[in-house]
Amino acid sequence: MQRPVWSLPLSSAVISKLNRRGYQCTADIEHLTAGQLSTETGVKEEEASEVLDLVDHQRYPVSITALELLQREAELKPIVTFCSELDRALGGGIPLGKTIELCGVPGIGKTQLCLQLAVDVQIPECFGGLGAQCLFIDTEGTFFLERLREMAAAVVRHCSLLTEDQEQQDAMRTFTVEKILSNLFVVRCDDSMELLSQISDLPAFLSDHPEVRLIIIDSIAFPFRLHFEDLPLRTRLLLGAAHQLAALATTRNTTVVMTNQMTTRVQGEGSRLIPALGENWGHAANIRLLLQWIDCKRMATIIKSSSHMSTTVHYQINTDGFRDLSEASKRAKVQTEDQKAVGNS
Amino acid sequence: MVVLRAHMCPGLELQLVRDLREADISTVEELVSADLEALAQKCSVSYKALLAIRRVLLAQHTAFPVSGADLYEDLLSSTAILSTGHPRLDELLDSGLYTGELTELSGGPGTGKTQVCFGVAVHIALHLKQGVIFIDTTGGITATRLHQMLQTESSSLEEQIAALQRIHVFQLFDVFSLLDCLCSLRRSGLQPVAVGGACVRAVIIDSVSAVISPLLGTRHTEGMSLMMQVAALLKALVKDFSVAALVTNHVTRSVGGAVRPALGVSWSHLPRTRLLLEGPDRSTHSFSSLRSATLIKSSRQPCHMRVEFDLSWWSRSKEVPSAKRKHS
Repeated sequence: MQRPVWSLPLSSAVISKLNRRGYQCTADIEHLTAGQLSTETGVKEEEASEVLDLVDHQRYPVSITALELLQREAELKPIVTFCSELDRALGGGIPLGKTIELCGVPGIGKTQLCLQLAVDVQIPECFGGLGAQCLFIDTEGTFFLERLREMAAAVVRHCSLLTEDQEQQDAMRTFTVEKILSNLFVVRCDDSMELLSQISDLPAFLSDHPEVRLIIIDSIAFPFRLHFEDLPLRTRLLLGAAHQLAALATTRNTTVVMTNQMTTRVQGEGSRLIPALGENWGHAANIRLLLQWIDCKRMATIIKSSSHMSTTVHYQINTDGFRDLSEASKRAKVQTEDQKAVGNS
Repeated sequence: MVVLRAHMCPGLELQLVRDLREADISTVEELVSADLEALAQKCSVSYKALLAIRRVLLAQHTAFPVSGADLYEDLLSSTAILSTGHPRLDELLDSGLYTGELTELSGGPGTGKTQVCFGVAVHIALHLKQGVIFIDTTGGITATRLHQMLQTESSSLEEQIAALQRIHVFQLFDVFSLLDCLCSLRRSGLQPVAVGGACVRAVIIDSVSAVISPLLGTRHTEGMSLMMQVAALLKALVKDFSVAALVTNHVTRSVGGAVRPALGVSWSHLPRTRLLLEGPDRSTHSFSSLRSATLIKSSRQPCHMRVEFDLSWWSRSKEVPSAKRKHS
């Protein structure tokens, strides 16, 4: 069975020139040189060498075994959320290299969790963190610097209480609120076009800033729900963007966190709240966390994940940030876990 | 359409190819259907020579008919049934995945498609000791989860490591890389890594709609043609190498609210068997691991057969994870 020329990512002009001379399959072109192809078909020499590059067997995708993948994953540390129950449910924290979607009603704490993660990714390695930078893409205008400052101060306080050895003391000298703010890049996107072009620019951004390990988009729903009449186009653009983000996350070992809004589905006699942006969008992220109110308490549920069980945990938002429901009783546990993490690092 | 090249067969010299091209004959099809007498005069070559060339080219490029009896014998000896590792799913699939065929799993987000794919890969690599090719287009594959599933099935570390080495993972994110990958697999006879590996018995693609959906629905028809090209390559792959293929697909909601697999009617002809997975009952706030699978297309079992199955089958172990205990 032969692979037709039109299935290669070439411009239609080049493809029609090749077809006109009878070169319909890749098998017909393989044995030619760029010069020969150029004279035979009338395409420019650069285009001809591009065609031959695509047909070349050496550039076919390479596989890795699951064992190598396991070894690679073991080297990636997760990003803690500071809610120990949620961290436990996620196997240590938000995993690196995945796309995560946070859905919830307004005021449930999606932006709070995003700000918390933006600080947590910067925790130095000697404390069990990643010591990395973060990019925050703000589409709703909900990025509040003062709140970030509060959370950063709380995390710095927490780490200074845990300082034991010389390495940690050295790290604490540079781990300050100002340093945290300087390691966070914020971009404001006003509409869907700006957001999409920002997403396309991300590979170049990550090449220039290799320390960035977390990209937050708060929220991805807002620009697409406002003034977007053509729904099929919206679905295609969203899926395309999600796919670019998934490719980026996997190849660069960066986590992408996106927040989504909720909408109402009317079904029969009743209605219920479901995540917005449609049925197709549901497949976009690797992990989906649903934040909701149950009996006047905030709960986080993992509703989609290929590697975690479906669990529901309590959490709360206080002045320090995103924390466990009962902080006092959990404080001792969090400390022992951090010490274990310190011991492992 | 095969282009005529010098030395394709004895008697086809470079000069003759050039002469034929001047006479407007550049492909094998054109030569075979041309008037050889007139051509012999135009190209100043003997009629007998052209006739001999035509005979050889026909022999090289024709498909040979096979008798039904031979085909049946072939099928009996080369078809295998690969269990999915989950007894309830095997019931639905009439004992498992059949080699030489494509099975499709469709379902909404969170219904367990990736878990089933992991379970199948783990079962084939560990118990059947055969190779598996896993093409991941969503970035959702987590080797840690594969390892957890292996630990549930076997307690020997050597066996787990050997099984992990039999699963070959490709991480691709666009349709052109997928086509490259399938072509290269076909060309190399399904030996992606030449390291004393076990013979490959299954190809799993999770998910095929993630790369194809963004291309469909526009004015241009390239998306559709690329989808059919993927379909044709997959079909050729499973038939030529007697492997089982498992692909996952998204779902879309039709006007009445009913759920159906994505990618449209053209794609629906490709898989021999199609399963629709449905998610947990969301009316309560608790989220269980029970799912249901409905058979929506099958040539062996009655359609609309439905089973309930538990995703935690792949996590069954003596100790219960602490998070579950807290909220059970």
